[in-house]
Amino acid sequence: MVSAQVAARPFRALGGFFAMSLDTFALMFQRPFAWREYVIQTWFVARVSVLPALMLTMPYSVLLVFTFNILLNEFGASDFSGTGAAIGTVNQIGPIVTVLVVSGAGATAMCADLGARTIRDELDALRVMGINPIQALVVPRVLAATTVALALSASVIIVGLAGAFLFCVHIQNVSAGAFISGLTLLTGAGDVLVSLVKATLFGLAAGLISCYKGVYVGGGPAGVGHAVNETVVFTFMVLFAINVIVTAVGIQFTVS
Amino acid sequence: MTPISTSVPSRPFGRLLNVVDDFAAGWNRIGGQVRFYAETLAAVPDAVVHYRTELLRLIAQMGLGSGALVVVGGTVAIVGFLTMTTGALVAVQGYNQLASVGFEALTGFASAFFNVRLIVPGTTSVALSATIGAAATAQLGAMRINEEIDALEVMGIRSVTFLASTRVLAGVIVVIPLYCVAVMMAFVAARFGTTVVYGQGSGVYDHYFGTFLSPTDLIWSFFQCVAMTVVIMLVHTYYGFTASGGPAGVGEAVGRAVRTSMVVAAVEIVMISLAVYGQSGNFNLAG
Repeated sequence: MVSAQVAARPFRALGGFFAMSLDTFALMFQRPFAWREYVIQTWFVARVSVLPALMLTMPYSVLLVFTFNILLNEFGASDFSGTGAAIGTVNQIGPIVTVLVVSGAGATAMCADLGARTIRDELDALRVMGINPIQALVVPRVLAATTVALALSASVIIVGLAGAFLFCVHIQNVSAGAFISGLTLLTGAGDVLVSLVKATLFGLAAGLISCYKGVYVGGGPAGVGHAVNETVVFTFMVLFAINVIVTAVGIQFTVS
Repeated sequence: MTPISTSVPSRPFGRLLNVVDDFAAGWNRIGGQVRFYAETLAAVPDAVVHYRTELLRLIAQMGLGSGALVVVGGTVAIVGFLTMTTGALVAVQGYNQLASVGFEALTGFASAFFNVRLIVPGTTSVALSATIGAAATAQLGAMRINEEIDALEVMGIRSVTFLASTRVLAGVIVVIPLYCVAVMMAFVAARFGTTVVYGQGSGVYDHYFGTFLSPTDLIWSFFQCVAMTVVIMLVHTYYGFTASGGPAGVGEAVGRAVRTSMVVAAVEIVMISLAVYGQSGNFNLAG
C-alpha cells in the first residue's frame, strides 16, 4: 500500500497543480481583485529582474552573433549578421532569457515568501478570516509574473540587439547600415508577436508553478528551500517544453 | 512604522555616511566572497584526502537528485530533457528558417555547429545551476539556519572543506557523464526532428552533420562545461553558506544564487568562446 501511495504522489501533485490553476483562472475575474498586492508584486518582480535580465541577455546575444558571424565570414556574407542576430534574439534569446530571470529571480522569491507563510500557518489564518488565499495572494502574484515577463521581454530584445550591434560593428567591423538593414530581412512583426506570446505564457507558467510549490510546501523550514529548488527545476523544464511547442506552431505562420 | 530606537541620536552627515557604509559593506562582501572561493578551491586536495566518504555520497546524491526530483528521474533526466528540447529547437527553427532561403539541406550542419558551440554549453549552464547548484544552496542554507555548520566547526570538522570543497569537486565529477548525455540528447533530438518530423532524407542530414562535426570543438565545449560547473558550484555554495533570515531567507538565497550563477556562467561562456575560437573562428567550411 505504501508503494502505491508513493507511486501516486506525482499524479496527485499534478492534479493539485491543475486544480489550483483552475481556481486561479476562475478567481481572476471575480471581485474583489487585490489591486494593491498586484501592484506591489509587479514592482517587486520587476525590481529584482531587470538588472539580471539585461546582464544575462548581453553575453548570450554576443555569443550568438559571434558564432553566427564565424559562419557568415566564411561565406563572405558578414553583411547579413544583422539577420542572424534578429532571428536568434527575437525568436529565442529574448523570451528565454526573460523567463529564466523571471523564474530564477521573481518566482523563487515568491515561492520562498508563500512557503514561509504556509509553514507558519498564515494561510490557514487567512482562511479562518474568510479570505481566500488563492484570491488574495496567488492571483495577484501570477498576474504580476505574467505582466513583468511580457514587459521585460521587449526590453530584453532591444538590449540584446543593441549588444549585438555594438559587438558586430565595433569589434567585428561589420558595416552599421548593413547590420540595421539586415535586421528585418527574415524577422517580421509576426515573429515579434510570437515572441511576446511566448514570454506571456512563460510568465504565467512560472507564476503558477511557484505559487503552487509555495502554497503546498511541506516538511518545515528545510522544506521551503527544497520547494524553491523544485520550483526552479520544474519551471525551467516546463518553459523549455513550451518554447519548443510554441516555436513549432508559430513558425508555421511566420516563415513563408 | 515608527522608529524603535528613538533614544539613539542621529549621526552628523547621516545620509552621506550611510552611502559610504553601504559602499564599504558591498566592498567587504566582494572580498569575503573571493576569500571563500579561494579557501574552497585550496581545500579541494584536503577534501579528497580526508573526506572521501562524504565526497562519494555527494556524487551519488547529485547524480540522482534529491527529494521530489528523484521522481522525475534525477539530475541526469532533467539535464537530458532540457538539452533535448533545445536540440529540437535546432530542427524547428533551423530547418524552417533555412528552408525559407532554400538551404534546408544544411540543417545537419546547423546541428553540428550551433549545438556544440552555443546551445549545449548555454543550456547545460542553466540546467546545472537549477539542479545541483540550487540543491546545494538549499541544503547548505538549511544547515546554516539550523546552526549545523557551527556544530560541525565545534566538532573540529573543517566546514568549508567538508561542505563546499566536496560539493565543487563532486559537481565537476558529475558533469562529465552529464555533458555526454546533454550532447547526445541535443544531437538525437535535432536529427529526429529534421529527418522524422520534417521528413528530410537522413542521408542528407548525416552527410552534412558528419562533415562539419569537429572533435576539437566538442572537446572545447566539454571544457567550457567543466569550467562553468566550478564557477556555478562556487557561487551556489557561497550563497548557501551565508544564508540568513530563517526559512524564507534560505529560499531567497536560492533565488539570488540561481540569478548570479546564470549571469556569471553566461559571461564565462562568452569569454572562453572568444578566447578559444578567436577572431578567425577556427572553422573551415571546406571541412
